[in-house]
Amino acid sequence: MLKDKTLGVRAWFGSGEPWIWMNAGAVAISIAAVVGVVGLIAVRGFAHFWPADVALIDYVDSLGERRMALGEIIESETLPAYQYLEATGKTAEDLAPGQITVERWLVKTGNRRIAPPDFRWVVAHAVTSVTYPEDAVVLERVEWGNAYGYLRAVYEDGKVSSEGTAAWADLAGRIARVAGLREVLRGLERSDLNRINYELNRQRLQRRAIDLRGATDDPATQATLAAIEAAEAALRSEYDEVEQRLRAYQAELRRDSLLLELADGTTETISLAEVVKAWQPNALGVGGKTAHYFQALGAFLTEDPREANTEGGIFPAIFGTVMMVLLMSVLVTPFGVIAAVYLREYARQGPLVRLIRIAVNNLAGVPSIVYGVFGLGFFVYFLGGSLDALFFPEALPSPTFGTPGLLWASLTLALLTLPVVVVSTEEGLTRIPRSLREGSLALGATKAETLFKVILPVASPSILTGVILAVARAAGEVAPLMLVGVVKLAPTLPIDGNFPYVHLERKFMHLGFHIYDVGFQSPNVEAARPLVYATALLLVIIILVLNLTAILLRGRLENRYRGVET
Amino acid sequence: MTQGSLTAVRRGRRLANTLTTRIVQLGGAGVIAAITLIFLYLLWVVAPIFRSASIEPGPRITLPAAEILLVEANESDDYGLRLDGSGRGLFFDLATGTAGTERDLGRALVAARPVAGHNGLYALIDTNGALGFVQAIYPISFQSGARVVTPRLDDAFEDDWIEVGRPDSAEAYDVHYAGQQLLVATLSGRTVTVSQFRDVEAGLYLEEPRQAEFTVGRDYDYLVFGPRGLWLYLISASGDFELLDLARPLEPRSRYSGRVARGDARVSAVAPLLGRYSLIVGDDRGRVTQWFLVREESGYELTPIRTFQTRAAAARIVPEQRRKGFAVVDAEGTVTLYHATSGRQLAEHRMESGAIAAASIAPRAGRLLTALPDGVLQTYLLHNEHPEISWSALWSKVWYEGYPEPVYSWQSSSADNDFEPKFSLTPLLFGTLKGAFYALLFAVPVAVMGALYTAYFMAPAMRRIVKPGIEIMAALPTVILGFLAGLWLAPLVEANLAAVLSILFVMPLGILGTAWVWSRIPDSISSRYDGWQGLLLLPVIVATVWIAFAIGPWIEIRVFGGSTQGWILENLGLSYDQRNSLVVGLTMGLAVIPTIFSIAEDAVYGVPTHLINGSLALGATRWQTLVRVVLLTASPGIFSAVMIGLGRAVGETMIVLMATGNTPIMDLNIFEGMRTFAANIAVELPESAVDSTHYRILFLAAMVLFLITFVFNTLAEVVRQRLRTRYGNL
Repeated sequence: MLKDKTLGVRAWFGSGEPWIWMNAGAVAISIAAVVGVVGLIAVRGFAHFWPADVALIDYVDSLGERRMALGEIIESETLPAYQYLEATGKTAEDLAPGQITVERWLVKTGNRRIAPPDFRWVVAHAVTSVTYPEDAVVLERVEWGNAYGYLRAVYEDGKVSSEGTAAWADLAGRIARVAGLREVLRGLERSDLNRINYELNRQRLQRRAIDLRGATDDPATQATLAAIEAAEAALRSEYDEVEQRLRAYQAELRRDSLLLELADGTTETISLAEVVKAWQPNALGVGGKTAHYFQALGAFLTEDPREANTEGGIFPAIFGTVMMVLLMSVLVTPFGVIAAVYLREYARQGPLVRLIRIAVNNLAGVPSIVYGVFGLGFFVYFLGGSLDALFFPEALPSPTFGTPGLLWASLTLALLTLPVVVVSTEEGLTRIPRSLREGSLALGATKAETLFKVILPVASPSILTGVILAVARAAGEVAPLMLVGVVKLAPTLPIDGNFPYVHLERKFMHLGFHIYDVGFQSPNVEAARPLVYATALLLVIIILVLNLTAILLRGRLENRYRGVET
Repeated sequence: MTQGSLTAVRRGRRLANTLTTRIVQLGGAGVIAAITLIFLYLLWVVAPIFRSASIEPGPRITLPAAEILLVEANESDDYGLRLDGSGRGLFFDLATGTAGTERDLGRALVAARPVAGHNGLYALIDTNGALGFVQAIYPISFQSGARVVTPRLDDAFEDDWIEVGRPDSAEAYDVHYAGQQLLVATLSGRTVTVSQFRDVEAGLYLEEPRQAEFTVGRDYDYLVFGPRGLWLYLISASGDFELLDLARPLEPRSRYSGRVARGDARVSAVAPLLGRYSLIVGDDRGRVTQWFLVREESGYELTPIRTFQTRAAAARIVPEQRRKGFAVVDAEGTVTLYHATSGRQLAEHRMESGAIAAASIAPRAGRLLTALPDGVLQTYLLHNEHPEISWSALWSKVWYEGYPEPVYSWQSSSADNDFEPKFSLTPLLFGTLKGAFYALLFAVPVAVMGALYTAYFMAPAMRRIVKPGIEIMAALPTVILGFLAGLWLAPLVEANLAAVLSILFVMPLGILGTAWVWSRIPDSISSRYDGWQGLLLLPVIVATVWIAFAIGPWIEIRVFGGSTQGWILENLGLSYDQRNSLVVGLTMGLAVIPTIFSIAEDAVYGVPTHLINGSLALGATRWQTLVRVVLLTASPGIFSAVMIGLGRAVGETMIVLMATGNTPIMDLNIFEGMRTFAANIAVELPESAVDSTHYRILFLAAMVLFLITFVFNTLAEVVRQRLRTRYGNL
């Protein structure tokens, strides 16, 4: 490269070098954006499970009163002084001379309902001291979020069981007991009650089906009706029995309680039935924190959501996403592969093929929401409505398939991801050397045999690439799903122990929609935010892993035929 | 193996081969079928909104002759009720035409009016000027599997009839009942009597009314309540009107007066539209005009909004019960259907019968009932599903009730039953294009410049990582970008607007500064890192952002006088929303950068090397070669990249949904949000009733999106194909 070091600024501009650098800057911006977005989600998402230290903050609030706050400092931000003054209604005298920004901390003080608010802004210049008391306890509660305070006593049946420093050691065993009880209760509700309700509903539908058919006097029908009645009676008595057992367990659950002293010195009795977990973050070492971290991560992945999705885990969303994606792959793979095989192997290149290619390209460019609209109208209302009228008249007017659900969501997304599979498969087929096909045909194989025994096996990595990319696309797609089957909270999973075990008509939860719903529709966005970051992180990881797998597979494939090329 | 089994095997193989061929061909056809199906299905759902309405004669029912005051159909449109002047209520079956139960109230009536908003409730006035209410009930029972309706007429309240004053005619009387307040007004001579009942509960006693009398200065013929009973229109056949203010019902005040007829035309029919905001006035020249109060600088003014023309003098105006539509029967016996909002004349039918005594439209607007004086009841079936839509109502300004002037507006629903839906797609189209514009404003320069650099200057080792690295961004779910935009970026930008704006200056300066410094470094060092500028600039980018945020508060005070938002509002007149187009532009830009980058990079990378080498050999600098040769050759590819990026930005849903306030405004202000087609569909479609007008319009919005992207994508594809051939020829 020629470069004259004595060049002036004007000549330097004339050489065009600055513009090259500006172009390089555009690349750098893109890279920074990619890394920044992924990094931001990673940092916030991973940090969610780390047990933050609990700070005791001694500060003066906006009304000039001295307060103590015990909680986690979640973030600190700097804002222009005028915004601060506007928001608090203070005058400039509150600030130091020349101060143009104000630093403030968002402190999660928990104790919703006992001592609201659970999040508060503390202005840094009004803080007198910040300490980290060793014995600060964090309680994760079933409802109302975390509680922060100091453990003072543990009660059993209302009588003091342990007090002071002994209480903490006593508490662990009791929380474990409560957790065990809760597990049993959940099992009862999940399997037994759920099954009984499901069976009862089935009996009801059978009865209605008989009603609809008319002719209730014939003896066979009478016998069926009697059988239904007997089954119902049995189910009802079983229901009562399960309910009694439930009540007994619930009473057991409420046996123990604890006394928590809050930051302001008041005390609060909390039943252990409300407590999921307790820990003393300031007393935990790195090892302890790491253990806690993985435990929290595990709970996040395997538990059900609580508190309008703002607490607890996201298991149903993971499950729903996986189910939907699997079903979609089953639907899209054959169709996509057949279409690609037609384009590459069977069709005579001409206007028809050109038309199909334009169709495929356009399918890829159609906004996803349009697929959602089509899915809702055609699959849900048209196909689903017709299915209902034909096969489930007894359940009408409440729809069975004529309402958004798993099957329709999968079908819609199969249509949406079809171009991905077609394009990828076609690319694979293009790379297969002609010699391979001709060899097979020369040996006397039919075209079909060549296709199944030679071409498809050889092209399988590219088919797989296509399916993986389709899965990645489907896993992250939200807009169409909002119309065709996703809900914020599904009472039951699409697979359970009730016949026919797989319920394709059910609505389901989805990771992407979970992010939208919790982040934007939840009543307490502040409390839900860490969870949204964690969910987003999971989704990003899934999608990046899928895409990287696809890229690697494709790279392999490229190398595979390098030698064979004719 | 025997000869026979071999033949069988061969036959089997041949069969399998044919079968495979058929299936594969079917699959190929399936792809075209899929895209046609999507388009045709959307069209199929949308089409009915543009289908014209029709009126066809229905059953003709012969009932005993009487002086007919009122005919009405019930909610399910299977039974009807007729009230006559001798005080008899007669039910009849609309399908079979047979007369059913009858009730004699035992007193002669002068007027009967259905109470708007209360199905089957009728307010009657007898010849002594006493008021009574009856309620028609249509209980359904099943007798041996068949549905049987046994209608009956009950007293609506426990009371005896209450004295309210005898009106001069059936038109000089009106009732308004909403919430727990019931108002009745009658006009007798020049005296208006307003009776107010409070704490009204169906089936209980009516409290003794509080009454007020008001004397008007001239003779009037029609009396109509305004919305919520807040005012009273008095209209004379000669075309004068007077408006009484009933804000305090017992102290009526005359507020405005004027004329509702043009020239010497005489008013021949008056009826309020649903919600009583608009008044439809017909004259003897066949002009039917919609009027409502419009706020002017000097106060309110009754303004003519739209005029429709019938064939002859308007004899009777029959409003619909649930929509802003109405039918006009003219003096020559032609019935015409209109809709106020869309300004459409929907259908016309010439009736065989002459003058009619009473008429009404069934609650679900599927039937028009007309009663002839001789007792014959002629029904007409109305097929009129979507009168509120016309091509011009969708795309141009419409004067809606309560608005001072015609506007573009999208407001599809409200808690109020009297609500006039506003279905203008223009604000949504505007929002869609606005979002795409700001996204591309950010994405196109970054993506195209990045593509040029990556394809042309970047070291191959770096390109191998950078290209897939940026492309993988395309796979990042937009819900995540949207969530970051709404919950992280929007508050950040709001708190640091000055810093964000200063990035625009600081970052290019930082890049140029680095480049200048680099040009001073001896070639021996710098040339070794040629092609790695992108990586070198990475810390510079991060540093400039940091610097911008550090100097942001200082800039805010020095340049913007303390508050950037305040400065913008004062000096540029732009208001600031937290979730605005700037945030959307940045985020959606990020979402389309990979798409544009990838295609543009391919195009630039594909420029034949001999062109580049030729240019360089002729002494052009690298930059000159890039601008004059590479960019020129690759421009169709870059164009198609931008088109595809545009298609993606237009249809993007989640980012817009989460990063804007979703208000359908028409303002290019970058600091305010918008509502796009896609976001609008996502928000409203789950809530809209299947096959309603709203539902079909949302499908229309989807179809418009489909067509927009279809055009962009096809354009891009055609250009790309051309380019491929051109590269082939080079």
